[in-house]
Amino acid sequence: MRYRVDESEALRYMGYADQELDSTLASRIRELFGRCEQMSSPGWMYRVFSLSEDGEGLRLDGTTLVLTGNDIRSHLEGARECAVMAATLGLANERELRRVSLLNGLDGMIFDAASSALVETVADACNAAIVAEAHARGLHAKWRFSPGYGDLPLGLQAEIVRVLAADKQLGVTATDTDMLIPAKSVTAFVGLFDMPQDTERTCAHCSFAPYCDLRRKGTQCYR
Amino acid sequence: MLPITDGITLPDRDILRVKDDYLRDVLGGFAYLVLDGAMGTMLQRRGLQAGELPELLCLTNPNEITAIHREYVEAGSHAVTTNTFGANARKLAGAASVDEVFAAAIDCARASGARYVAADIGPTGALLEPMGTLPFDDAYDLFAEQVRAADAHGADLIIIETMTDLLEVKAAVLAAKENSDLPIFATMTFDESGRTFLGTDPVTAATVLSRLGVQALGVNCSLGPEALEPIVRAMLEVSACPVIVQANAGLPQIVDGETVYSVTPEAYLQALRPMIRAGVSILGGCCGTNPDYIRLEAQEVADYVPYRMPVAPRYVLTSAQRTVELRGREVAVIGERINPTGKKKLKAALREGDYDYVLGEAIAQAEAGADLLDVNAGLPEIDESAVLRELVKRIQGVTALPLQIDSADPVAVESAVRVYAGKPLVNSVNGKAESLREVLPIVAHYGCAVVGLTLDEDGIPPTAEERFAIAEKIVSAAAEYEIMPEDVYIDCLVMSASTNQDEIPEILRAVTMVKERLGCRTVLGVSNVSFGLPARPVVNATFLAAAFAAGLDLPILNPLADRYREVVDTWRVLCGQDVAAKAYIENYANYQASSVPTMMNHRGDNSSSAEKMMNNTRGDSSSELFALVVAGNKGPVPAAVEALLSRVDAMEVINGHLIPALDDVGERFERGTFFLPQLMASAEAAKAGFDVIRAHAGGGDEGKGPIALATVKGDIHDIGKNIVRMLLENYGYKVYDLGRDVDPQAVVDAALAHACKIVGLSALMTTTVKAMEETIRLLREQAPDVKVMVGGAVLTQEYADMIGADFYAKDAAESARYAGEVIS
Repeated sequence: MRYRVDESEALRYMGYADQELDSTLASRIRELFGRCEQMSSPGWMYRVFSLSEDGEGLRLDGTTLVLTGNDIRSHLEGARECAVMAATLGLANERELRRVSLLNGLDGMIFDAASSALVETVADACNAAIVAEAHARGLHAKWRFSPGYGDLPLGLQAEIVRVLAADKQLGVTATDTDMLIPAKSVTAFVGLFDMPQDTERTCAHCSFAPYCDLRRKGTQCYR
Repeated sequence: MLPITDGITLPDRDILRVKDDYLRDVLGGFAYLVLDGAMGTMLQRRGLQAGELPELLCLTNPNEITAIHREYVEAGSHAVTTNTFGANARKLAGAASVDEVFAAAIDCARASGARYVAADIGPTGALLEPMGTLPFDDAYDLFAEQVRAADAHGADLIIIETMTDLLEVKAAVLAAKENSDLPIFATMTFDESGRTFLGTDPVTAATVLSRLGVQALGVNCSLGPEALEPIVRAMLEVSACPVIVQANAGLPQIVDGETVYSVTPEAYLQALRPMIRAGVSILGGCCGTNPDYIRLEAQEVADYVPYRMPVAPRYVLTSAQRTVELRGREVAVIGERINPTGKKKLKAALREGDYDYVLGEAIAQAEAGADLLDVNAGLPEIDESAVLRELVKRIQGVTALPLQIDSADPVAVESAVRVYAGKPLVNSVNGKAESLREVLPIVAHYGCAVVGLTLDEDGIPPTAEERFAIAEKIVSAAAEYEIMPEDVYIDCLVMSASTNQDEIPEILRAVTMVKERLGCRTVLGVSNVSFGLPARPVVNATFLAAAFAAGLDLPILNPLADRYREVVDTWRVLCGQDVAAKAYIENYANYQASSVPTMMNHRGDNSSSAEKMMNNTRGDSSSELFALVVAGNKGPVPAAVEALLSRVDAMEVINGHLIPALDDVGERFERGTFFLPQLMASAEAAKAGFDVIRAHAGGGDEGKGPIALATVKGDIHDIGKNIVRMLLENYGYKVYDLGRDVDPQAVVDAALAHACKIVGLSALMTTTVKAMEETIRLLREQAPDVKVMVGGAVLTQEYADMIGADFYAKDAAESARYAGEVIS
């Protein structure tokens, strides 16, 4: 599977706000976007589980996962099932990012932004497959919610990897400090509901919204 | 631990503990061994939850585990694999001890009545350095604990499986070799691209594993059996030991929430048959298989004896991702630039631990067409063994070229080859008894090839015959350690034509003799020949051509030198390596012969373009340089600076042009008329200017500061830190970049060692701010004068105050501004 870097998204990660761009820099950026596409080996996977509530939290049936924290619980309130997903650009991307960064800081920064945009696109593709499966079964998906959003702990990463066997399937591992390697990897929960839901993320339920610098600048941390 | 140079007594693996004659036949390739199929799939069917540790069932439900093993034994498995795939201390995380899980698991397997119990060892679950954060030694310790438990509780063999990282397999194989005398099987898993997730191909995997001395190797999991055939065939061609196949029953698909596999037992066997015919002699199954698959396999091979074509000797060196093979008269270039001898900048970099500089040299040589890289850290004032190990570890993260590990110190060699994921070339052993005794055991234990220097206790002999005699002695000494001639590369030692003119023809003759009579390939450090002569590149090139004709295979040279490249490229046409001269025609179609050596050409170019710039910008150079930096146009900057330096002094160029331009860019960035890449492009342009000024100053200028930067322990995000480094360097600061995932004490040590004025710490995740706090605490205790600035996505001014930082930099430009306040 091959995907393209969403150029405007990648530029946004670099702080681009319609500044005038000379052609040398523009073509350097475009070339690195191309290299990013070429040097990544994207992959994604998901599994769907039914949900049940018990004293500990929200349980994904047939797994060891129990979701705690107010934000994910209100996010999934009323959901019938929940998809657990993982998407990655693979270790080839990680290695090339290292190499490019070592040779030139600017190139590294551009490649990094391109990779961040690309992994979101790959996650979108996975998300789309979840939406399609849900639709076929008469269910409706809500926007995806990742560990680290709100009060959903990052500490879930290792367990998500274990539940999906994402290390075996995608080559994604979690470090002892809850980071994913390859760094350009995404995990998320997608709630499936009987009734239509918001499919776009907003700041409405974010607990950081009142303090957010990005919002003050008129932008946001998601697309 | 360095078992060979530390003189630790290792298990005697020349006399393996083999349970019975049938297993002995299996290891010799004279009998089939039928392993079992999936354990996880069977457990899931019985209600195992996703994410649960299946290994704990050996303790809680031993009867159930034994029942599964028994089903396989009844279907015809000779050996069952213990339910210990994830039973390492890291994954068990205190839920049970490794020893008790292995004890229970082996009991469960034994109780099934299986003829052999194979102790299963899977991946640690964490990625090793340099791509990940798990140190090699920690991985080794995890595996060693499993091996000791398996051995103590009576396993018959050890099977290391489902590996994707060759370095991790090496850690596991070494742990097995060094802690047990049981037979070792090792398998890796590949994806549709035909490589593992970490980019290892089957030929490289089989080459490295078989040279490491496992008793059987192969592939498991991965794909369905049909898709595995090319991978297995590639392994059969190069593996000295029996080959294992344990495929999945196709690719997993989720149907109604259940993982299902589509290949039926009949289709599975059908796909396996050609591989059995090609010589696979150890079979089983992986995910999705069950006793029905194993029954058919067992029936298929019952009463048959395996047959396989013998493997021909190959001249190969590998990294984890690439195999360089010398076929026929093919030649390969070893890049010589990572060797501090006579290189001021590299010496400084090694002394200061500036590994990025060395990695840059590695990448540059790779891009210039080197096939292998020499790595040498021989400087008297550094801890060679630690530095060489660190270099080897890091270089394998940025290039796929196989390495030549170059040191006169056996301790340094052992510490480096231990953490190298491929089959490296050790440089070197020589004819002295002491050298043979010290180096060859390392080469043998770690599965390396070795360079043999034709010198002994009496020095370097002058004639071809005497050099050959030493080569012969090295080859036969190597054979005693089961290092075959194809893994010995003889260096007949090049002398200078200005001092030992008579020996040059002798050297060439010795090369020919070694190749013809010993079956070895040869290596030469080419540039020695021209010491003391003018126009050295010309002498080197001529000698190189002559040496190729005499039979040289691996020249050690500077791949960035054009003359060398021309000789190598043309020789590859003449010896038939560059088939139909395809590469040559591509690269040389527009070649223009020059009468002056290339180096002089460059100088000519520079001065003329500098002059051009002078002419274009006469009287207005200041605004020209200023404009170039603001525009981030680095190309013409060196010429513009040169032009200015011919009229004003360096300080004027810096303070009157470069710094004002950077300040202007900083303001634009602040206002939002520039975005980050523009700021960085300007910084890059300014750096090109500073470099010229520094070159004029003769390298005495160390830069302001110094400043140490690090991404804190546990955090692997370094892009923000890299941007800060770049900006600071371009403002003229001396920066020590300690990298990412840096231990708090290491930050303190570096700050003290380099007398840093500022330490900059970066953390991107909430989970690692704790490590930042700890680092600051240690700094306050041990280096109270150092200012600490912090930055990173999750940080705020409040957070920075809370953890006791001096300054919170919300972006890279602010860190440069703060540095300016602290260091004037």
